[in-house]
Amino acid sequence: MLDIKNLNVSVEDKQILRDLSLKVGSGEVHAIMGPNGSGKSTIAHTLAGNPNYEIISGDVNFNEKDLLEMDPSERSLSGLFLAFQYPIELPGVTNASYLKQIVNVHRKHRGENPIEAGDFLKLLKEKSSILNIPMDMHSRFVNAGFSGGEKKKNEVLQLDLLNPNLVIMDETDSGLDVDALKSTSEAVNQLRSSNRSFIIITHYLRLLEYIEPDFVHVFQDGSIVESGDKSLANRIDKEGYA
Amino acid sequence: MTNTEKNICSIIIGEEIKYENNSSEVDIDFKIQNDHIFGKIDILKSSKKFLINLSNVKDKKFNLELEISLNENSFLELRDESDYEHGSDINIRSTMNKNSIFEFFRLNKFKDSTKNTFNHNIELALNCEFRDFNFSNGSNEMDNKTTVLLNEENASYIGSGVMISNSTNSNNDLSIKHLSKSAKSDCSFKTVSRGNSNIKFSGKVFVDHDCSKTISNQISKGLIMDEFAKISLIPKLEINNDDVVCAHGAASGKPDESVIFYLKSRGIPQNEAEKIYVEGFLGEFLDKIPNAEMQEKAMKYISANC
Repeated sequence: MLDIKNLNVSVEDKQILRDLSLKVGSGEVHAIMGPNGSGKSTIAHTLAGNPNYEIISGDVNFNEKDLLEMDPSERSLSGLFLAFQYPIELPGVTNASYLKQIVNVHRKHRGENPIEAGDFLKLLKEKSSILNIPMDMHSRFVNAGFSGGEKKKNEVLQLDLLNPNLVIMDETDSGLDVDALKSTSEAVNQLRSSNRSFIIITHYLRLLEYIEPDFVHVFQDGSIVESGDKSLANRIDKEGYA
Repeated sequence: MTNTEKNICSIIIGEEIKYENNSSEVDIDFKIQNDHIFGKIDILKSSKKFLINLSNVKDKKFNLELEISLNENSFLELRDESDYEHGSDINIRSTMNKNSIFEFFRLNKFKDSTKNTFNHNIELALNCEFRDFNFSNGSNEMDNKTTVLLNEENASYIGSGVMISNSTNSNNDLSIKHLSKSAKSDCSFKTVSRGNSNIKFSGKVFVDHDCSKTISNQISKGLIMDEFAKISLIPKLEINNDDVVCAHGAASGKPDESVIFYLKSRGIPQNEAEKIYVEGFLGEFLDKIPNAEMQEKAMKYISANC
């Protein structure tokens, strides 16, 4: 599904990713762990197409397409989803209106008609209840004044509504209390399937206790220095990155 | 008096002036002299809110001198949702007597090549409320000036202005004079400047010496969408009393690229992402509009002109 080859990326003339290579197959869950500043979020934003991240060299193939040639919106429409570490606020636009627009832009891409208002409300209620999101949150402006936990749940809600096949979760566990972490992880686990892959970026073992990864990669100085199964995450939790 | 009960009257100004007034609670008089329209609206009393729809259908420049008077305890809602095809020169003088309410909505489209001027001087007595909402797309040359005199205690002004333009050279002046104690004013101005537009807003708040317990807020924000577009926001405060709460803020800049990226990362193309961003920017204060119907119309105006 995703094949990253020798990727080098810089931000503001400082090289962050160095010869990164990673393959993610269909249905696989990859966890990327690493200390602060190691470049984990750079992977997420580079794959999503953030224009602040400059590609120096390398290739990324996503579902037989050259991902790096695609605009961020095309990447989303092709099935890539980034759950932001710091979701962006959008004052003046209600969450319900925003969610309906993103659902409809994906429906349009698939050649479907816009969703009817009643059907959208039903869908929103159903998906929100899985994440214990109260419906009144959707009448507020997007992420404006949301707590850290509400913002992260809203990211997972979008993931559920858009039905992508590659999900990158950038420190989704940060800002979540124990109960929210559990309900969010349960929602993510329900979304696991043989044709949906995950890249989970995290500092901590606790998220991986709920979402069992197939592979764990340790990231340092912009590249993967060690890969293994979940036991690697257990070892890091005990011994640290040093 | 409730918001749902209304007397309704339409005044249509073309080559002749058409209106029908079946209410004894209002005196309306319009006439044309030498291509100038002279109008008078007196709300004598109002058991119900009085809604007047004013429409400009003239096929040449629209020149209007209008006097508005609200008697004690009266309530006027004045709407102008006209398209101005040929330029305009509008001068309004309004007088509000105690406990009266005046809601003034202007949602207008102006033709690029025209020149338009608008002047409104309004005086408020005890406990009066003036609610002023103006949505405009600018024109080649445009001057908007509103002067609000809060003459007596507890008079209050709430106003919002929105200007979205591709090619305007416009001056927007708002002057609010607190001339008695315990008066309130709350003003927001938002603008989106595109192309080679040059949009200026000057918001002056004056608080006189014996005007204790004054509350005044003023915020002006602008979005600069293109390389040659300009915005100038100038708040001015002259406060002559210590027992006041006065706040002001002004900010202008380009759209936040992180927001555009966030929207694009959800599949929304660049042009639609910018539109959503601008709609959100302008729509942030729509909840200040006191009635749902006009909120909806303002939202549609913004959406159609973004």
